[in-house]
Amino acid sequence: AIKRDKKEEEDGGNPFQNLDKTSVLQDARTFNDTPVNPRKCTPILTKILFLLNQGEQLGTTEATETFFAMTKLFQSKNAVLRRMVYLGIKELSTLAEDVIIVTSSLTKDMTGREDLYRAAAIRALCSITDASMLHTIERYMKQAIVDKNASVASAALVSSLHMSKTAGDVVKRWVNEAQEAINSDSIMVQYHALGLLYHIRKTDRLAVTKLVAKLTRMSLKSPFAVCMLIRIACKQLEREGGDYADSALFDFVESCLRHKSETVIYEAAAAMVNLRNTTARQVSPAVSVLQLFCSSSKPALRFAAVRTLNKVAMTHPPVVTSCNLDLENLITDSNRSIATLAITTLLKTGAESAVDR
Amino acid sequence: MEGLLLEPTLYTVKGMAILDNDGHRILAKYYDPTIFPTSKEQRAFEKNLFNKTHRANAEIIMLDGLTCVYKSNVDLFFYVMGSSHENELILVSVLQCLYDSISLILRKNVEKRTVFENLEIVMLAMDEICDGGILLEADPASVVQRVALRTDDIPLGEQTVAQVLQSAKEQIKWTLLK
Repeated sequence: AIKRDKKEEEDGGNPFQNLDKTSVLQDARTFNDTPVNPRKCTPILTKILFLLNQGEQLGTTEATETFFAMTKLFQSKNAVLRRMVYLGIKELSTLAEDVIIVTSSLTKDMTGREDLYRAAAIRALCSITDASMLHTIERYMKQAIVDKNASVASAALVSSLHMSKTAGDVVKRWVNEAQEAINSDSIMVQYHALGLLYHIRKTDRLAVTKLVAKLTRMSLKSPFAVCMLIRIACKQLEREGGDYADSALFDFVESCLRHKSETVIYEAAAAMVNLRNTTARQVSPAVSVLQLFCSSSKPALRFAAVRTLNKVAMTHPPVVTSCNLDLENLITDSNRSIATLAITTLLKTGAESAVDR
Repeated sequence: MEGLLLEPTLYTVKGMAILDNDGHRILAKYYDPTIFPTSKEQRAFEKNLFNKTHRANAEIIMLDGLTCVYKSNVDLFFYVMGSSHENELILVSVLQCLYDSISLILRKNVEKRTVFENLEIVMLAMDEICDGGILLEADPASVVQRVALRTDDIPLGEQTVAQVLQSAKEQIKWTLLK
């Protein structure tokens, strides 16, 4: 502790102030020492990542040298240091050359028994894997997607989605695993699985119809997944065109107005407002919900409500008239964005009397 | 009314930032290269964001076409940014998770000094919350568990006898399993 106090004095109390790139990169030579000293190496790696985060630019040679020095740290069993190495790999993956050198180390950690490493290793591995290399880890990715450890499954699903940009055809083959992951007990895994599955299927209209029909019946546990499903359902409604009078999809979205999560309720209300072919009667349940949110104690919810009512005021102004009193209360809201939105909404509903007051 | 419907996508977070009470960046991540592609533009945005928010404790603001939700404590400001069409409450969930995770990591001493003392863990926590713009984990307890310092990371002198015994037991177990 005494040593640290002394160091802090030298650095003006903050060891991260006035860092010099050249000297920090020179310190990274310590990474080559054997055995690796985590107490020395972790702060140095932290400083490098801090500098990068501050916007410091590294040239290709600097980045490559640092990357290779960093790979030496794989010899250490220290958990925090190992995790910082994964972070370093991700940060330098686009700057350094020959980053695939760590493929086998990461594959080993990804398939090892330490759960704390597995998830993070998958994410780092996918950041250095290109389309041509993906087939070598495909088997492990499929296994990871259906892993019973939620952090591992989520890491694999999210990484798959990132990689679908460059290796769409390979990732498409993992559709069965993604489908299985939707049944996960973890709310995040369910959300990530739906996101990947929709991405794979989205150009296939029939497949999306089937997916939505199945999921709207099974009542997803994850509020985030339900929000996603609402968005998918609305895309389908737009695609199909026509009115929503007898639409099961529209009924599903409307039923979400009675969900127990505020996030889902608001998502459903906003979705109904933004659908193109709604009648005044069809949007009115959504407006009632938004009206309630106007008097919420949470600024974000008041903001969300008034922003959405502002949109209704463009398409169905008479429906919003019932909210005029609530909107008038928001004119004096301490949040200026809310107050401004309330005023513009009132102007659209034509309540000049309110503006006068 | 074209294009008002939200795209069904997992990419909901455009950025996260922790600034100090002078508006200087402690840590920041931007996930969409089409907004603020250079460090200079990011800094300008952060400066503007800080100027508009550091006095008004209003939780949410529209800025540069983004919805920004924020929270402050002592000498720190936490921000989460999303598209102006994004569900604000999802962004609030991300912000709450960011703040609560860091609060747990710092044992409720959420201030600049403690953030710098634990900077590596704070970096790891941010990485566990959002991966490339996708909300990875919204539960602070899970985030903290995933970045948790295990007993072998505590220097021997600071460990209790029980912890030393426990880690010795673990080591013997692993040796036997090998």
